[in-house]
Amino acid sequence: MAVYDVVDLTKIYPRQTTPANDRLTLSVAEGEIFGLLGDNGAGKTTLIRQMANLLAPTSGAIRLFGEPLGSAPLYVPGHIGYMPQDGLALNNLTVGETLYFTAHLRGLDRRDARAERDRLLDRLDLGTARDRLIVRLSGGQRRLAMLATTIAASPPVLLLDEPTNDLDPLHRRLVWDLVREINREQGLTIILVTHNVIEAERVIQRVGIMRGGRLIAVGRPGALKAGLNRQLRLEIVFAPGSPPALPPGPAPREVMPGRWQLLIEREAAPAYLAALNGDESVEDFSLSTATLEDLFLALAERPA
Amino acid sequence: MSARRRTQSFPVQLWDLTLIQLANWRWSWRGMLLTSVIAPLLSTAALGTFAARDDPDTLAYILTGNVVFALLFGTFDKVATHFAYMRMVGRLDFFATLPVYRAALILATVTAFLVLALPAVAVTLLAGQAMLGLTLAPSPWLLVAVPLIGVSLCGLGALVGILVRSPEEVGSLSSLITFVLLGFGPVIIPPDRLPDIIETLSVLSPATYAASALRQTVLDMPDRIPLAVDFLALAGFLAGSLWVVGRRMDWRST
Repeated sequence: MAVYDVVDLTKIYPRQTTPANDRLTLSVAEGEIFGLLGDNGAGKTTLIRQMANLLAPTSGAIRLFGEPLGSAPLYVPGHIGYMPQDGLALNNLTVGETLYFTAHLRGLDRRDARAERDRLLDRLDLGTARDRLIVRLSGGQRRLAMLATTIAASPPVLLLDEPTNDLDPLHRRLVWDLVREINREQGLTIILVTHNVIEAERVIQRVGIMRGGRLIAVGRPGALKAGLNRQLRLEIVFAPGSPPALPPGPAPREVMPGRWQLLIEREAAPAYLAALNGDESVEDFSLSTATLEDLFLALAERPA
Repeated sequence: MSARRRTQSFPVQLWDLTLIQLANWRWSWRGMLLTSVIAPLLSTAALGTFAARDDPDTLAYILTGNVVFALLFGTFDKVATHFAYMRMVGRLDFFATLPVYRAALILATVTAFLVLALPAVAVTLLAGQAMLGLTLAPSPWLLVAVPLIGVSLCGLGALVGILVRSPEEVGSLSSLITFVLLGFGPVIIPPDRLPDIIETLSVLSPATYAASALRQTVLDMPDRIPLAVDFLALAGFLAGSLWVVGRRMDWRST
């Protein structure tokens, strides 16, 4: 069953002419982890906020479990947990108070709400922050507290906008593990926006790629990458400041200082690696099949 | 299939949300208390110096009018400003994604401010009677009048806080509404000193009923509006504005 049905959705902000969302049509099935990818300004947050019924569409319709979003005042809030990209929603409450009140207002009785608070503090490594005001937490801890608040009392649908922003690698892994766990064990439907494409690929079951307010690709990552599967991703590391002198072939892209990436045809890979082998300026290299990030970049670089 | 989710009852939501809103003042309540006491007290003292000591009616209007200023318009202004703040920092979005009634959120917000306004009311009445030479004659109905007056404009406050673009504009609009409603009716100024047209229009202002109710319950002064009508009018403003803001208005951003 479709949890969300988005039909021909367009959003144009006041005093703007370019649509932030342009005739989007999308369906998200119950129990799936759906990733929304796209560059900055692609319209991902605009879409998520409309799905959370926080932003009025200009035209088109969104249905949640078959019901139009505005059908009853508490219908959408009764079914979703929404984690915004930023915000200090309850900055004068402690982490423990925020979790307790959220769980209680989502329908748990007082004892269960306290148990839910304790469970989430433990699961998200927030035990030491329990009695600290949210406003006094570090950026990463605040992000974890917001995620814990979003999933408190397990709403059936989670809308997560950049859940791993500001997190160190250890806590990013904790979040991705948690996303997988609550999806598998509780069957929650999770729609998430992220820029951590490589990490998200391990949990996302279906993906929508946005560009310029439009959905340019929707499907399973494996199916979408099929077109790229004839290519391999080569990542090469040079000593800092040393310019790459690569064999002739596809143009490389510098992803960070000294670290270059390129996609090469499978058949051409052995010869290319052999040519690289003699280059002493190469400190390290790795070869892998194309990732979701490669797909995203390939689509992003394609002319509109 | 969509699982049916449990929603807490309105009183439970109201209790939780009031505690959440009260937490906002856990560090700043002393300052807020002080400013909410000082403004009506100074205003009572200042206006009292212009009134003749042998005109107890005028003195009574000054005292009760200033309590209306603190109670009705003080909470109205704070609710408007607080809703604008909540919208700005994303807190309204947080509440909008929780299964809580909007009316419960508005009432919880005003209740938290009302708790802080009550000392200002008590101090103004006690100090005011001493400054103006009046004798208080509180009736048990005061226990109904004070909370009803305090919450009656909360819906309008939320409306202003949600619709107006910036917190600065909210402050200006709320001051404008306050001074118009205070001036357009027998609130601080006795009716015999008001032009007929203003006295006629004053039936539309909640401040008229709030001041009338206070005069009757604090000073036992007879009034042209019966106390029951005051209560009904204030309850009507409250229910009407909550219905408009809570059920009819689209809170979503555009």
